[in-house]
Amino acid sequence: MASAVKRKTSSGKVQRYNRTGYKFISPAVIMMAALIVYPMLYGVYLSFYNTNLVNKWKFVGLKYYIQAFTQSEFYNSVFLTFLFMILVVAGHFIVGFILASILNKEFFGRTLFRVIFMLPWLFPETVIALLFTWILNPMYGIFNSILKSLGIISSNISWLGSANLAFPAVVVVCIWKGYPMVMTMILSGLQGISSDLYEAARIDGANKWQQFLHVTLPGLKPVMTTTIILDSVWWFKQYTLVYTMTGGGPGTATNLISLNIYGTAFNDLRFGKAAAWGIIVFVICYLISKVYRVVLRDD
Amino acid sequence: MTKSILKTKKSRKITGSILRYVFLCLMASLILVPVLWMISTAFKTEAETYSPTPIWIPTEISLDSFKKFWGIYNFGQMTLNSLVTCLGSMIICTAFSCLAGYGVTRFEFKGKKTFMGFLLVTQMFPSVMLVVPFYSVLTKYHLTNSLLGLVIVYAATNIAFSTWMMTSYFKSIPLELDEAARVDGASSFTIFWKIILPLTVPGIAAVAIFVLINGWNEYMYSSVLISKDSLKTLTVGIVSLNTQNQVHWNDMMAASTVSCIPLIILFLCFQKYFIAGMTSGAVKS
Repeated sequence: MASAVKRKTSSGKVQRYNRTGYKFISPAVIMMAALIVYPMLYGVYLSFYNTNLVNKWKFVGLKYYIQAFTQSEFYNSVFLTFLFMILVVAGHFIVGFILASILNKEFFGRTLFRVIFMLPWLFPETVIALLFTWILNPMYGIFNSILKSLGIISSNISWLGSANLAFPAVVVVCIWKGYPMVMTMILSGLQGISSDLYEAARIDGANKWQQFLHVTLPGLKPVMTTTIILDSVWWFKQYTLVYTMTGGGPGTATNLISLNIYGTAFNDLRFGKAAAWGIIVFVICYLISKVYRVVLRDD
Repeated sequence: MTKSILKTKKSRKITGSILRYVFLCLMASLILVPVLWMISTAFKTEAETYSPTPIWIPTEISLDSFKKFWGIYNFGQMTLNSLVTCLGSMIICTAFSCLAGYGVTRFEFKGKKTFMGFLLVTQMFPSVMLVVPFYSVLTKYHLTNSLLGLVIVYAATNIAFSTWMMTSYFKSIPLELDEAARVDGASSFTIFWKIILPLTVPGIAAVAIFVLINGWNEYMYSSVLISKDSLKTLTVGIVSLNTQNQVHWNDMMAASTVSCIPLIILFLCFQKYFIAGMTSGAVKS
């Protein structure tokens, strides 16, 4: 009853709503504050120190940030990661788009194919990494033996052991793992486009290509924007798959920035440097999303 | 004249659908061949695993690798650890994200925009960036080498996206329901618990599955935060087989196969919620 009375005065209403709203979001907010904001700020703090977290705490100021931009190690790694991200995301969209547009049509066995094409998404990244390490094994791997039986290569190739081949191999595996998400997103986007629009376009005399350009693409834009941002950021930060397959090697051929940071922290025990680089990567990821948003903004 | 046009149209349609099936089968084989190779390796003996010419179907089905899974590798314990951590984080995440989703869609308050914006920004956090602070903070509170620590970390890394997904679900439920209940004198929490929450079960399922998959598949945090063998999770256990001096690929593939089964079963049972979970958060933003 008291609440009903309160509702009558407009200022009281706003206040009540105010407090109740906070009550509902507080568990999530407290959790994020304690476990995301605090560690992140702690990371910022660490980034000013040369530290192994145990007995060495030496203040170095902005040294690691400056180093990142002046030494080639950091931006070589970032450049490699960008290349990796662009190739993987492009692969996801090409494969995802083709499969989604086929699966969007009604045909016999569609559900079966849909389940098959979803499979890579269900496998743990570690499992996929190990599986492909085994498939690409230079001695006993089936990939070599299939290629040999097709007459494409004459002797076994060490795919993950060669500086030139490891990177493309890893990219292909990452495309294999990640396209189901993009495919599903595009599929749901396609299903959201009303068939009336196609009907109207057909009546106006638009051919298939024009229909694609003027109905399909604009209809998919909202889904595509979010998908491309999430996919890019997720794969820019990719660690597990590449680490398990190559460990960043051979040499620095697949040394993505995440692996680089991880190694700096837990192999070299230079936590401050790792924290500083992590923060720069966060800024990069944030900028990626901003750039996409500006480029893909609705007019 | 019209007949022949119809005929070519029809035959074109048939060729089209044949081409479609050929293409689909080709693509499907790119997915299935690696998967089948994993399963086939899992059932091989050591000798057949390392045969110079690959053997597709093992001549004798060997269950040794699977026996080792429960035996010497102690993966049974690790499976249990994985299960505990991903279920724990799932419960926390769904509970907190339901509350937050309801709060955000039903009430006006200062800082709501900031909160929603923050949810998106957390997607940009590289997990490697958080791993160093997590490691050091959790060490301070003696939560490394503890499944509880892992549960908290998994929940924290998933809470933002879960809340985002739940918010889009709560948005789809008409506010008139709340209004009607409020007129009847129900409190905010009663409305949430008794009236609105039961309507969001599909959304909850989607969030739960999302968190479950992430927890089951997680590797990096687990490998950093847990060093005790008895507390290791399955993904870490399997990868550690790869670093041993002699790699037993058949054992590793058997363990990999086993680790994939729970998610595949889950997917086949709750396909609809899976897809909904994947798409809802993004489509409606």
